[in-house]
Amino acid sequence: MSAPKKKNFQIEAFKHRVVVDPKYAEKTWKILEHAIHEIYNHNASGLSFEELYRNAYNMVLHKFGEKLYSGLVSTMTAHLKEIAKHIESTQGGLFLEELNRIWAEHNKALQMIRDILMYMDRTFIPSTHKTPVHELGLNLWRDNIIHSSKIHKRLQDTLLELVQHERTGEVINRGLMRNVIQMLMDLGSSVYQEDFEKPFLDVSADFYRLESQQYIECCDCGDYLKKAEKRLIEEIERVSHYLDTKSEPKLTNVVEKEMIESHMHRLVHMENSGLVNMIVNDKYEDLGRMYNLFRRVSTGLALIRDVMTSHIREIGKQLVTDPEKLKDPVDFVQRLLDEKDKHDKIISSAFNNDKTFQNALNSSFEFFINLNPRSPEFISLFVDDKLRKGLKGVTEEDVEIILDKVMMLFRYLQEKDVFEKYYKQHLAKRLLSGKTVSDDAERSLIVKLKTECGYQFTSKLEGMFTDMKTSQDTMQGFHAAAGADLAEGPSLTVQVLTTGSWPTQSVNTCNLPSEILGVCDRFKTYYLGTHTGRRLSWQTNMGTADLKATFGKGQKHELNVSTYQMCILMLFNKADRMSYKEIEQATEIPASDLKRCLQSLACVKGKNVLRKEPMSKDIAEDDAFYFNDKFSSKFYKVKIGTVVAQKESEPEKQETRQRVEEDRKPQIEAAIVRIMKSRRVLDHNNIVAEVTKQLQSRFLPNPVVIKKRIESLIEREFLERDKTDRKLYRYLA
Amino acid sequence: MKKEDTVKLISREGFEFIIDKKAAMVSQTIRNMLTSPGSFAETEHGQVTFPEINTTILEKICQYFYWSLQYARSYLTFNINTINYCYVCPVLIS
Repeated sequence: MSAPKKKNFQIEAFKHRVVVDPKYAEKTWKILEHAIHEIYNHNASGLSFEELYRNAYNMVLHKFGEKLYSGLVSTMTAHLKEIAKHIESTQGGLFLEELNRIWAEHNKALQMIRDILMYMDRTFIPSTHKTPVHELGLNLWRDNIIHSSKIHKRLQDTLLELVQHERTGEVINRGLMRNVIQMLMDLGSSVYQEDFEKPFLDVSADFYRLESQQYIECCDCGDYLKKAEKRLIEEIERVSHYLDTKSEPKLTNVVEKEMIESHMHRLVHMENSGLVNMIVNDKYEDLGRMYNLFRRVSTGLALIRDVMTSHIREIGKQLVTDPEKLKDPVDFVQRLLDEKDKHDKIISSAFNNDKTFQNALNSSFEFFINLNPRSPEFISLFVDDKLRKGLKGVTEEDVEIILDKVMMLFRYLQEKDVFEKYYKQHLAKRLLSGKTVSDDAERSLIVKLKTECGYQFTSKLEGMFTDMKTSQDTMQGFHAAAGADLAEGPSLTVQVLTTGSWPTQSVNTCNLPSEILGVCDRFKTYYLGTHTGRRLSWQTNMGTADLKATFGKGQKHELNVSTYQMCILMLFNKADRMSYKEIEQATEIPASDLKRCLQSLACVKGKNVLRKEPMSKDIAEDDAFYFNDKFSSKFYKVKIGTVVAQKESEPEKQETRQRVEEDRKPQIEAAIVRIMKSRRVLDHNNIVAEVTKQLQSRFLPNPVVIKKRIESLIEREFLERDKTDRKLYRYLA
Repeated sequence: MKKEDTVKLISREGFEFIIDKKAAMVSQTIRNMLTSPGSFAETEHGQVTFPEINTTILEKICQYFYWSLQYARSYLTFNINTINYCYVCPVLIS
């Protein structure tokens, strides 16, 4: 082939043969009509596609499109009416199968008809805005078969009946179901929705309403949930097997509504098997199931959460207010931790670690821990106990875990400053008596407190550690300076504590034995010599002493005692018998402490280095004490503990409380001034709100106290009331 | 070549053109004839009669099928320098 030659030519329009035969259209249509009949009768093999196509083509070309189209509609309608009759007459069980078979045939025929009428489909139909052949076929099928009065209801009932059968455990022909449902979907989503989905959902709702009613009467909560879950899975499976995927949310919605939502409250509150019971018995599986089912319902989780919260609050309230359980603070805190662990585990393993549940748990704990005003003290005691002895032989990670848990409880406290007070006291005791087990653990806890509450919260605690360290250095310096002079007589270790950093103690100086007094004075001169402008006072109530004692049979023991006890024992170097009054006069130890010391020296079995007359458990003012010659012990070193009140006694508690209140005053004032400095003018309620907000990391200030502080500030002319509006306060620079 | 892969096109004058089915199916109409679900006579016998098309034109049509199959549809081997045009003589059309 070569390139086209350049030659002018004209392409003339194709000339159709003019149809002369007036019966042309009628004749041609007859051929086509016959063909459509044959196609429906499965006799297509005798037909020539080319001929039919050409005829249809020519008809459209010769403006007989309208005739062709209407002919098609009427022929097809007639056929479908025939089919409808046939389907109506089919017997019971075969109904669906027959319908399905004929539907497949209709589809095939429709495809063929569309093929031979392709030209009409492509040119005539778009230009006249008629329904394309395929769609036309479906519409006619819908109107003549599905919506035919006798078939419509029967089809619906048959389908619903089959589903009902399957729900009651029978096996049905799912493939057939799928095909028939697919047919409905092919006929348009509105057909599927109107003719099947809607009644189906209604029937499902009825079914599950009835079933759930039965279940709830005879099953406990766990079993009911299992059944509901099974039903839900079944329905989802049903959708995937033979329903439109769009039906899934609607269908599950029905099940959820009937099986869960309407019985939700009854389930949760079911006696002996409801939510509370599950929580108490750690039924993770049931709880998880409940969570997953209830999550599907809008208010389901809120309900679980509310019930759980009130349950935890109830338990917690019992825990913190039961006087029996308040006896042992360590046990008390341990119980709280156990409770927290238990519910944490439930939330993590059954409630999908839901944040809202965690929050609910936290707020519940916050609620009941603060119900008991002694919680801060107990938590500090718990830490004290752990750091004194509980952490021996425990790995570092475990220590961290315990401390983290304690911090978690600490976070719930509203009165963090009260905790600080107690913690300071306990820490002081630990440090001074050298009883702290692990320095690392102590410091790690302080770091945690610092990250939780900021620098100022721990600065004093850190100051205590610094004091301990400097004291060591000071002692080294002292021993180096005094040197040989100290070789004789008792050796002295002093811890110099900064006032302010340590918990303030009422100074009850006792009379120290002269031997000790000498060394003490030497240290005092040494210390004041190196540090000018300082004042030293002895805290005799906090020290300890090691004494070497020889008893009746010549056996020697080293007695580890407190400073007070040391003072008492030293008196017996000069006398074998002393009365209570004599001891009190000689030592000037405060009465309550003295009694406690004497009790521990004379009344504890195995450690009774003193003998008391008369023999009794309690110390009376007219008792007399003797040096116990017959004292014996298996050990060389004997540690004589003081009968300490671990927990604070009632007056002590009051005192601490008062001190805390006292300490809060300047903090509240500082907060008020800070706020007013930036706001200049503010009304009362806003000040209270802001102050509360600023201080809530440390404690919850009482509005009445805030009001008092404001008044005090007005008195001292930091603030003034607005002259016109008395509710407004004004900052005075 | 197997018989199933070919198709016979017959002109008005009775001339028979046996061509690849693939080529014949360049025409959408012939494709429909050969693939329509119910077996029409054309599908069964593998031949199509065109009583309204004369031999010359049918021949040209067949040529066009092959040309189209080779050049117009195979984008991969398309090369502007080697392309051959399907030349249709204007006389044929009139």
